[in-house]
Amino acid sequence: MLIYALNRVLTLVPTLLAASFLVFIFIHLIPGDPASILLGDTATPEEVAELSRELGLDEPLWTQYVLWLGNVLQGDLGTSVFFREPVLSVIADGAETSILLATMTMFWIVTFGVPIGIVSATRHGSWIDQATSGGAMLFASVPTFWLGLYLILIFSVGLGWFPSSGFPSLADEGGASNLRYLVLPSLTLAAPNAALIIRLIRASMLDVSREDHVRTARAKGLHPARVAIKHIFRNALIAVSAAFGFTFAALVSEAVVTETVFSLPGIGRLVVQSVLRRDYPVIQGVILIIVVFYMAINLLVDLAYASLDPRVSLK
Amino acid sequence: MNVLLSIAPIFRGRGLATVGMCWLLVVGIAAIGAPLLAPFDPLEFDPFIRLSEPGWPHLFGTDHFGRDSLSRAIYGARMAILIGSGSVLIALVAGGLIGMLSAYFVRLGHLLMRIVDVLMAFPALLLALVLMTLLERSVLNTVIVIGIVYATTTARIVFGMTLKLKRDVFVDAAICSGAGNTSILFRHILPNLMSPMLVQASFIFAFAQLQAAALDFLGLGLPPEVPSWGNMLSEERVYVTRAPWLLIFPGALIILSVFSMNLVGDALRDNIDPRFKDDIAGV
Amino acid sequence: MALLDIRDLDLSIARGSELLPVVQGVSLTVEEDESLGIVGESGCGKSLTALAIMGLLEGSAVRIAGGSMHFQGQDLLALSPGERRRMMGDQMAMIFQEPMTSLNPVYRVGDQIMEAIIQHRGMSRKRARERALDLLDLVRIPDPIRRIDSFPHQMSGGQRQRVMIAMALACDPKLLIADEPTTALDVTVQKDVLELMLGLQRRTGMSIVLISHDLGVIAETCDKVAVMYRGRIVEQASTSELLSNMSHPYTLGLLGSIPALDHDVEWLDAIPGRVPTLDEVVPGCAFHPRCFAAEGSCRTVDPVAAAISPAHFVRCHFPQGSTT
Repeated sequence: MLIYALNRVLTLVPTLLAASFLVFIFIHLIPGDPASILLGDTATPEEVAELSRELGLDEPLWTQYVLWLGNVLQGDLGTSVFFREPVLSVIADGAETSILLATMTMFWIVTFGVPIGIVSATRHGSWIDQATSGGAMLFASVPTFWLGLYLILIFSVGLGWFPSSGFPSLADEGGASNLRYLVLPSLTLAAPNAALIIRLIRASMLDVSREDHVRTARAKGLHPARVAIKHIFRNALIAVSAAFGFTFAALVSEAVVTETVFSLPGIGRLVVQSVLRRDYPVIQGVILIIVVFYMAINLLVDLAYASLDPRVSLK
Repeated sequence: MNVLLSIAPIFRGRGLATVGMCWLLVVGIAAIGAPLLAPFDPLEFDPFIRLSEPGWPHLFGTDHFGRDSLSRAIYGARMAILIGSGSVLIALVAGGLIGMLSAYFVRLGHLLMRIVDVLMAFPALLLALVLMTLLERSVLNTVIVIGIVYATTTARIVFGMTLKLKRDVFVDAAICSGAGNTSILFRHILPNLMSPMLVQASFIFAFAQLQAAALDFLGLGLPPEVPSWGNMLSEERVYVTRAPWLLIFPGALIILSVFSMNLVGDALRDNIDPRFKDDIAGV
Repeated sequence: MALLDIRDLDLSIARGSELLPVVQGVSLTVEEDESLGIVGESGCGKSLTALAIMGLLEGSAVRIAGGSMHFQGQDLLALSPGERRRMMGDQMAMIFQEPMTSLNPVYRVGDQIMEAIIQHRGMSRKRARERALDLLDLVRIPDPIRRIDSFPHQMSGGQRQRVMIAMALACDPKLLIADEPTTALDVTVQKDVLELMLGLQRRTGMSIVLISHDLGVIAETCDKVAVMYRGRIVEQASTSELLSNMSHPYTLGLLGSIPALDHDVEWLDAIPGRVPTLDEVVPGCAFHPRCFAAEGSCRTVDPVAAAISPAHFVRCHFPQGSTT
């Protein structure tokens, strides 16, 4: 298992290097001098010249990349044009919101998606199944921001149950009760992703239920619920876990939109605002961190896959 | 007509998918006949009838510039079809070629699929966002960006399917009978990929609508004056409490169209070669 | 009283809105400590009959359309699904054709055996594990203490089938149904597994229903034989009676045919033609298109089962044993 894990990490290195190169080259694709792009319109010529020397702009591209990568590995992602602060600390400010939002969203996805998926598969063909799989597809077809706007309209403006925007830190006044700010955003974000998981669980459970070993389990006289959970769902989980990385990618994309709708001070909104402010160092930094995070998630998914399927880990 | 007849059996016993197909036809007709069907000019301002409620003569009401919502929605169908088919075209042609060539020529494949892997390390909307920062807001650029995003997934899928086809007997037979690479790729492999690619196309079409709407909403998609459903939502969202109908109509249009396309894709998927079913994820 | 008593069992498969009969009028009895073989080509309804006895048709497209089934005097069709379930894996158990896929790939074989024991006997895990070790030893798996923690993919086909047998025997069933238990195995392993099953039957006194397409296997192992063709029993007798006085042309064809190397043969060399599909309507005797002895009446009149000796039934207008 350890060898398998190390092996997987090693295969990720080239992809990670290539992805970081893409992120690096992004600044060079924008028309204009990279140093003045990185410093923004207000920079003085001296500052531009200073940064040019630092980045080695007269060196060949690959030397610049190595310089940049060296800085990145030391935690130096540059300075935000807009905030006049190190990019890393700007991103860190948004991390609390984004991580809490993602956790809460995962909570909804698992508590709603998994049981509904299992029921839909075990009762397949019934009206419950048709309603849930149809409903799941419908939810996957709703634009995230539209759903968010209507949740605000109903539950904030109409019923006044939840705040409609913003998120004070848990460290601020209110403490853990500030989590109520994240209820509507996390539900918005969970809806299309739970729909995805429901359809995924249903499809793979139906595949597994046609396998011979399920008949063996039933022939043992096990309770149908035990057959469904211990035998069918447990095997379906292998396929579901493989697709989980995909769900995470969708989650990141939709978080960008959701954080914007609910004006949450998270990393997703930071990307959008930085794009609109042309704050390129921040864009570069956030993209890099998300890509690394995304690949780490995919690695974890792979390891989960291996630990769920004894046939893989022993190869 | 022949095509219609040949796909008709797919929809037998699938009431919802049939309804979905009909809705897509309606959208198609609205797109083609927009200048004839739209009762008003979708771009004309009229400050005296700002935010008027649905009624006669403005069936869907008017927006905060006093533009007729129904007319904008009808022209929006044009954008929906344009963005959907444009992205599908780019994704399928680019992704399909990369996938097929990579699976067929092993050395080239190593390189190309590595590149695809790298691009796939960027979550879809994020990749689109980054690409859009480099480009001007325009219809063409939106289509190109969404097309590129889905070209990567298509390349992966086509790569997998071509590998499976390569092992088939008929390819060996074609090689033995002296067929060249081009002939094998385009006359033997490609025809077998057509129906799974059609399924993939319908899912891309659906996803493209949502991505385009999200880009519009973030202010990074189509130019704001272009009448698209995403822009209608994005422009009028501040009036959601005063004029909720302005968001209900375009929202419902997007949901209906994406849902319909997903239903059709699902129905089509059940009819393709079972070997390829798991390759195409869909919703 | 027979252990298992099936009368006039009809099974139908739902295809769209219509019901196609797949098994018609099957009557069988199995006494205690007796083995019955059911033989026929693939698609003749033998496996479906087995699944119906076991109670595993629930959730499939096949329905019991008529007839009765009694096990130990209990009317199986009158039992609730829960009561059927308590019987499955306890008083009656089943092993299947494909040992490679019949075990759950994600659990250790020991846990899979223990599952049935814990379910029906309510034993602690520790005692169930001891029982599983005994069972693995019983089915002659070498080094059970090590193998009990193996995953199925670490075992050979023969070993997996032994595990399946151990699992079936976990609760000392009165009746063991074995559906082509050796077909998927190597020829050399087939014999070992069959001998194992027979030895176990002699030791435990359970009854066996053995299903096979290979009349040779059944003749060697079973006390009595039922030959099925297209959903019906065409000949039924004790093995010795059948071998000495084979009467149905189809049975003769089966014996004359060499067991094919395929797992499940579609048609046999010695019998020309193929089994008609379910929706084909064959007037008269269903076997007449392939029968060497068919005459005019065979094409129009469906024969009824007739006793040609006290315990020997044949469904044929021209039984071969009586004419020669």
